[in-house]
Amino acid sequence: MLTALTACGDDGDENRADREPTIELPDLSGQNLEVAAVWTGAERDNFLRVMDEFEARTGASVSYVPSGDNVSQFVGSKIEGGAPPDIVMVPQPGVLREFAQNGWIPPVGDLVQEQLDANYTPGWQAVGQHEGEQYGVYVKVANKSLVWYSSTAFDYAGVSAPADWDTFVDTAWTVWESGTTPVSVAGGDGWTLTDWFENIYLSQAGTEAYDQLIAHEIPWTDQTVTDALTTLGELFGHNQLLANGNGGSLQTDFPTSVTQTFINLEVPDAAMVFEADFVGSVITDSTDAVIGEDALVFPFPAVGAGDPPVVSAGDAAVAVAPNGEASEAQEAMLAFLASTDAAWIWAEGGGMVSPNRSLDLAAYPNDVQRGIADALISAGDDFRFDLSDQTPAAFGGTTGQGMWQGLQNFLRNPDDVQGAQEYLESQAVSAYGE
Amino acid sequence: MASGKAVIRARPWAVASFLLPALLLLGALVLYPIGYSVWRSFFDASGDDFVGLDNFAEIFANESTRTALRNNLIWIILAPTVATALGLIFAVLTERLRWATAFKLLVFMPMAVSMLASGIIFRLVYEQNPERGLANAVMTTVHDTFAGSSSWPDAEPRPGGSLSAQDDGSYLLDGTVSAGTPVLLPLVAVPQPELADAEPAATAASDPGQVTGTVWMDFTRGGGGTRDAIDADERALAGVTVQAVRDGDVVAEADTAADGTFTLPAEDADGAQLRLAASSFTPPYNGASWLGPELITPAIIGAYVWMWAGFAMVLIAAGLASVPRETLEAARVDGANEWQVFRRITVPLLAPILAVVTVTLMINVLKIFDLVYIIAPSSSQADANVLALQLYISSFGAEPDQGLGSAIAVLLLLLVVPVIIFNLRRLRRENQR
Amino acid sequence: MTATTLTAQAPEPAKAGGPTAESGPPKPSLGSRLASIAASGAVRVVLVVLALVWLLPTAGLFVSSFRTPRDIASSGWWEALTDPGQWTFANYDALLSNDTFTGSLWTTIAITVPSTLLVIVLGAAAGYAFAWLDFPGRDYWFLLVVALLVVPVQMALLPVARLFNTLGIFETTLGVVIFHSAYGLPFAIFLLRNFFAEIPRELLEAARLDGAGELRLFTRVVLPLGGPAIAALGIFQFMWVWNDMLVALIFADAGSPPMTVALQQEMRQFGSNFDVLAPGAFLTMLIPLAIFFAFQRQFVAGVMSGAVK
Repeated sequence: MLTALTACGDDGDENRADREPTIELPDLSGQNLEVAAVWTGAERDNFLRVMDEFEARTGASVSYVPSGDNVSQFVGSKIEGGAPPDIVMVPQPGVLREFAQNGWIPPVGDLVQEQLDANYTPGWQAVGQHEGEQYGVYVKVANKSLVWYSSTAFDYAGVSAPADWDTFVDTAWTVWESGTTPVSVAGGDGWTLTDWFENIYLSQAGTEAYDQLIAHEIPWTDQTVTDALTTLGELFGHNQLLANGNGGSLQTDFPTSVTQTFINLEVPDAAMVFEADFVGSVITDSTDAVIGEDALVFPFPAVGAGDPPVVSAGDAAVAVAPNGEASEAQEAMLAFLASTDAAWIWAEGGGMVSPNRSLDLAAYPNDVQRGIADALISAGDDFRFDLSDQTPAAFGGTTGQGMWQGLQNFLRNPDDVQGAQEYLESQAVSAYGE
Repeated sequence: MASGKAVIRARPWAVASFLLPALLLLGALVLYPIGYSVWRSFFDASGDDFVGLDNFAEIFANESTRTALRNNLIWIILAPTVATALGLIFAVLTERLRWATAFKLLVFMPMAVSMLASGIIFRLVYEQNPERGLANAVMTTVHDTFAGSSSWPDAEPRPGGSLSAQDDGSYLLDGTVSAGTPVLLPLVAVPQPELADAEPAATAASDPGQVTGTVWMDFTRGGGGTRDAIDADERALAGVTVQAVRDGDVVAEADTAADGTFTLPAEDADGAQLRLAASSFTPPYNGASWLGPELITPAIIGAYVWMWAGFAMVLIAAGLASVPRETLEAARVDGANEWQVFRRITVPLLAPILAVVTVTLMINVLKIFDLVYIIAPSSSQADANVLALQLYISSFGAEPDQGLGSAIAVLLLLLVVPVIIFNLRRLRRENQR
Repeated sequence: MTATTLTAQAPEPAKAGGPTAESGPPKPSLGSRLASIAASGAVRVVLVVLALVWLLPTAGLFVSSFRTPRDIASSGWWEALTDPGQWTFANYDALLSNDTFTGSLWTTIAITVPSTLLVIVLGAAAGYAFAWLDFPGRDYWFLLVVALLVVPVQMALLPVARLFNTLGIFETTLGVVIFHSAYGLPFAIFLLRNFFAEIPRELLEAARLDGAGELRLFTRVVLPLGGPAIAALGIFQFMWVWNDMLVALIFADAGSPPMTVALQQEMRQFGSNFDVLAPGAFLTMLIPLAIFFAFQRQFVAGVMSGAVK
């Protein structure tokens, strides 16, 4: 991502001059805005370029504070302290709803709604809503339905990107025969396992069941879950298909799962690694592999008769105003973030995908990034948000319990589908407070 | 240490201004929390309902707190004992060594390092991959020095093929072989770069006086080959030991040649079963899974000992310096050897200081948090759990149960009460002297 | 937080033996016999191996901090020993130009320095009162302080978080400073009271006769004489607070956390990004190590008098 940044900084400026502004912003000279988000490093620097443009066009001055991982706790304590940030990027839909319920964030105004209607599909607007009111603007999303692969390993095996799950499993076996371990699984980080499950489940059981499972309207002992785990077991059930075996996978964290696939271009330790678009930044930061040449990507395969899944995650911008209305400056910022102008600057910096459908794909710095964005936009409203992000944090986002632990148990012992389901259900019951 | 005698008469407001700031702070931040925790530990997660001792029962019933209790027990027994024993050994070995100062400094130094930094240091040490992790690099180097490596560690038979993997690591061919019919022994999964120098595989000659065959990598680079047939570009696996087995006994044995072929005399091998010896495929030794669920607690204890053995060493060395030399000499004159002197005289004389060191470390270990939090990867965190970590998770985690958190806090306090009593008694004794 | 059993006596740093100080006069008989053992090759080999065991982990961190992420991911740090081309300052450059990290360095200082000073001032004042001033229940109050020596800090996390929340200092640097000061106090009072009690009574009485008040006695007589003990206390409190992660994790401002928490966050977000963690961890170690090497004697003396967290 760093290289992407330096590579395109100057070109971007020229392009920008050619483009017509798509949004009129008020004069906000003398006003200060504080923006809080989880981003650090290159991700933050890229976002600051967007803020620079906002400052240049409104005269306001913007400061950035890192919120840390627990955004909800961060904002809560700031509100208690009396000085909350003006704009916060919330990483989970559940957090947005929680903020709306607490009355910390007001619904957006006309200026923002105008931009949303112009640039966002109903589906992408809906994920920023609570009880029918629009509270947030999804600005940066991740496509979590991608399989990255080593072109060397695929060349050795003479295989090409599979389109459906059965071909995917066959491909894995062929790759194994050719002498490369097929799949690198970051079992040490529970969230990557939830993403495996979610993609299979979304494709196999369909969007309706997916939404019901989120609400825990169907239990984790349901047949659809059995099917999804059994499908996952076609891969996880064979020690030789996983880099370092099942036990080793459980100790592999996410960055290592990426680096072991791409660090050695001659003898890859694994041929494929599944995860979101941000795998790309790990590849550029920690390996010599060139995205588009050594490292290629294909969409998560369709399972059974289903469509290929599109699971996403993302950050929504909200205006924090515990005492009622958002200020003109906050409105302007949200509207700007929803505009194509902001999306363009942001996208060209690399490492981000915008849900803004008006954004010309030419804005993206390379073909891989463009392809990822294209897959997401063309899914229209058939995408689904990360399942685990929408469940109670104790179930979907905590080390040592819930989905993370349940799927780690499954990876450790993939023959015991039933045991995994019973564990998941018992954890869900306690986390949903039933 | 006499108190109550050498006292200066002071105006009450002066005493108050010296004393009160400290006492108020202690009252608000140390005493009040004790009271609050005890009270809170009798209420449920919401804090509304009185549940009596249920939270304490929960500590022993809940799976994760039970793991934490068990690990704390392992910690309390293992960590102080090992650190003290090492400290004693270091102190004795270095007592009159010329470079003892440098050695002691080196061993003592980790005490100045934060648990966080030590955790990061040991994450590097315990990395699973022997190419990166120091501990496994050492282990594999030592191992490989004594045990040779095999020729094709990755080669495996295709599942469902004519060869099947045996429990001992060898690959057995279905059925028996007969002289004059060349046998095909296809293997797969050898990394392509390892085959760069291998010769093309050849079909073995048919000879009625011999059992012949080929062991090769049955995969054409770039795909397109036929299964179980030697295609034009497929490579030989040389140096594989082929054994003819009859009733479990090896009756003949040969290694494959550069083109993958082998020959066994018909009088021994005809009608026997063929087996590829396990020694040709022994996977490389990769060291231990330090951060896996089984070894994680001992591994973290290792990091702790690294930090604290120096503490034990310094205290024991000071004690050692005050051991009366005459007693030791007398024992030697009586014919005791060094080991007996050490065991019968030095250790008993050092007993008080050893006890102090061990108890101090026990209290310290009880509260261990940072090392576990940093070193354990998330997949093993549940297996590495300790009370202080569980307290943090229960109190501030995603699904807080402050009643349970408070109960753990009270339990931790109860565990140090004996030490508090010991300290107070000792102080009163000294005051009376 | 200050966990200790009471060991021997108040520290007398001037006399204390340490790694550097040969303790006591030579005792030839045992010495010579042990020396003969030590001289034997086996013991030397064992000690060299042990020295390596103690040195290599830190060396690994140090060397790793000078390697690119790619090198770290592809080979062990020892490879850099034979390949000088791998060494680079890039990680440090990146870290030191990263506002979040440099900000966290300032936060660490803003927490450490005040809590060290506060503990010294409050601890010395109370220690003086316990040692020399007359007030009712003096010995019992002191017993209470001693009892608090081993109270686990975990005990206070939740109640104090609530208390600070009410006071509006939860997740502020001030709150962290107050917390660390409170948990440094039992040891500070214990140490300084014992040390001050050894001051010859005549000195104080002479000053009293010259018309000095309680404050003047404290600042002109007791404090200057207490120098060595105060130095030991300051060193330990400084190191504890500098190295603390747990308290900061809960009480510090998540937006501008001290270094330990900033590094811990890096760890949880991205896993094994040792190109940030290694130089970061090494930078956090620099100050405590410098203090350790500069004040070995006080350090040893402090440990001997029970300065153990």
